[in-house]
Amino acid sequence: MALPAHLQETFSPEEVQFLVEEETVKIFPRITTRQKRRDKNRGAYGDVDTKWSMLTTENDNLNNMVAMRSTEVKLWIALLLKQQNKCSIVAPSWLTLRELNRKIQQETNNSDRFCDLPWNWLVIANVLFAKAADDFHDPVHELRSKVQDLREIRQTKVLKGLKQLNASHLQLDNLSLLEINELRPFIVRTMDKLREIHDSANTDGGVVDGDEEEI
Amino acid sequence: MGYYDIDDILVDSTEVPCKFNYEIPGLGYLENNPGKPIRKNTKLSLPLWLARVLAIVGADSQEQEDMDPNAEEEDGGDAFVELLTPDMFSNKVINAIKTDPKSLDLHAINPYFLDMALKWIALYSDKDLGEIVYELLLERAQQINNYASSVSIDTEYGNKYRSALLDALRLQQNSANEDRSGPLASINGTSSLTTRSANNSGIGSSVGTSQATNLAASTRFLLKLDEFERQLYKDTHDSYRDTKKWVSK
Repeated sequence: MALPAHLQETFSPEEVQFLVEEETVKIFPRITTRQKRRDKNRGAYGDVDTKWSMLTTENDNLNNMVAMRSTEVKLWIALLLKQQNKCSIVAPSWLTLRELNRKIQQETNNSDRFCDLPWNWLVIANVLFAKAADDFHDPVHELRSKVQDLREIRQTKVLKGLKQLNASHLQLDNLSLLEINELRPFIVRTMDKLREIHDSANTDGGVVDGDEEEI
Repeated sequence: MGYYDIDDILVDSTEVPCKFNYEIPGLGYLENNPGKPIRKNTKLSLPLWLARVLAIVGADSQEQEDMDPNAEEEDGGDAFVELLTPDMFSNKVINAIKTDPKSLDLHAINPYFLDMALKWIALYSDKDLGEIVYELLLERAQQINNYASSVSIDTEYGNKYRSALLDALRLQQNSANEDRSGPLASINGTSSLTTRSANNSGIGSSVGTSQATNLAASTRFLLKLDEFERQLYKDTHDSYRDTKKWVSK
């Protein structure tokens, strides 16, 4: 079909990354794009500054960057700027050793629920570790291992939760998008089959009841 | 279960034992002797697509065709044929399911066990069988997820894994063609089929020991899955593999 089979009912991890790159992050620009009033009127020099003009995002922040004064932009722009050494990305508040340790503590204390990490934590962590490793205050290898710990703890919980699969519903509070995405084919297909089995055993009664009421 | 669903078409061609309630002239070709009539109380194996319809409609049902088909089914004698319990839903199999769903070789019982069960349950709205199959799937799904989530993204190993798997599956196909006589044979004791194919495919000679054990275990496990479960395993496995690839790139 027009859409390849493996994309028909789920996202690929690359598409999940694409979704996450639409989030805003804080950056420290290393360039200044804000124009001084004096410059604006100079005219005599004749050089026209190029400006950002975006269709899918606001460009005010981009046209008003001042070096080393923090501002907020979309992650994909931040990554492009970072690539050219024109900014440094500020890691989100939960991506620090102290905060990650606290989350791990929460995870181990409450074995029956997931702690409230943002929906994109795994993707953000991976992207920033890969592209902006020099911008963290804490040593990156330690952050990496903490993120790995969190992921493993949550995976064990998922395995435990899968024993509760049923024909009607499942509650997955605080499970992140990438984690849901990798489980989606399994959970959806299994629950679908369970529902089919359940329905085919019970439809008859339902239909007969309905008919009797009509009569 | 769509009209163009190939698996569904294959499920529908599974044969089930039937008993005729009427003498019908001209239908002898179902018994492989054309020209003769079919006698009352003849026992025959008919493909499900034919048996399902014949079990619902009967000789004098013209005027009540638009009525609920189940009403006639309850009358029993009215329909052309009566469905008998096939081997795959016999007490022996049900007991094996209740004992240990995880180690059961569904593929040897019927490659389309779950889908057949689904149709059978729908035909009789059999709640007991429904519950048993529900539990069966739930238990086996855990196992499928466990095997599917142990992913190696080492490509060389991945290729060996795939070729070993294909070898094993092909071998299973061949031996299934050789003897169709005893589909239930492997329920009793060890399933010689699966162990033989796992050994024959030359696993363990070329890959590292721990990987080889994993490989042998998952191959043996995969051979016990029915066709729906295989698809489920494949999709789950691909999903875990893609995610892992992305995370560690």
